[in-house]
Amino acid sequence: MGSRLPPAALSLKQFLQRQKVLGLYRGILRTIRQVPDEADRKYLRDWAREEFKRNKNATNQDAIRMMITQANNHLEELQKSLLLARS
Amino acid sequence: MAARVLQHCVRSLARPSLRLCPVSLALRAAVVPEVTVHLPFSFVADSRRTRWLEQSRISSVGLMCRQYGDLPPLTLETIKDRVLYVLKLYDKINPEKLQATSHFMKDLGLDSLDQVEIIMAMEDEFGFEIPDAEAEKLMTPEEIVHYIADKKDVYE
Repeated sequence: MGSRLPPAALSLKQFLQRQKVLGLYRGILRTIRQVPDEADRKYLRDWAREEFKRNKNATNQDAIRMMITQANNHLEELQKSLLLARS
Repeated sequence: MAARVLQHCVRSLARPSLRLCPVSLALRAAVVPEVTVHLPFSFVADSRRTRWLEQSRISSVGLMCRQYGDLPPLTLETIKDRVLYVLKLYDKINPEKLQATSHFMKDLGLDSLDQVEIIMAMEDEFGFEIPDAEAEKLMTPEEIVHYIADKKDVYE
């Protein structure tokens, strides 16, 4: 029984990775919303968009995993800074 | 208008012989925020009665329009207008090609990152969070309108 999926379909791992990336992007955008200054918000949004779009076409699984870890670190850093700024 | 009502109340409360009738809770709730501004707090706390508004006096003030602290009600039309307005402001969408049924990826040529941004803009516009699982399925303005109407209980 051959596979009936179209050739462009992602494997399960790739699909999960894609979901993770989109979830990360959403998390970053949500965290950026909490930044008090509007100009900072715009700058951070543009930076995040730039970063994600630049690596949009990467196919190497390990590279993608590294980038996901990097994005996670950025997100945590942003969250910690916001917590500190608020206290 | 509320200040005049309160003045009536204060005078009527000062006269102990007057019987105070209960007014509907909503009206009381609408006037209560004003109380802390106009009346000294101890005065209100003194009167052990919870009913302190006299109904006959209030009806003389004229048609009371109840004002709650809430947004105007949503209709399918207004939701659709707002969704399309937000989409037109998005820089990657060509306003001329935008229609209610245009698919983000197939017709407008956006990708999944743009779709995430669009859904975030919708969250900002309508003021409530859309969870990830449901957000990634919304691919046309039509679907977004239906989803928001579903979540906000807007029927037509």
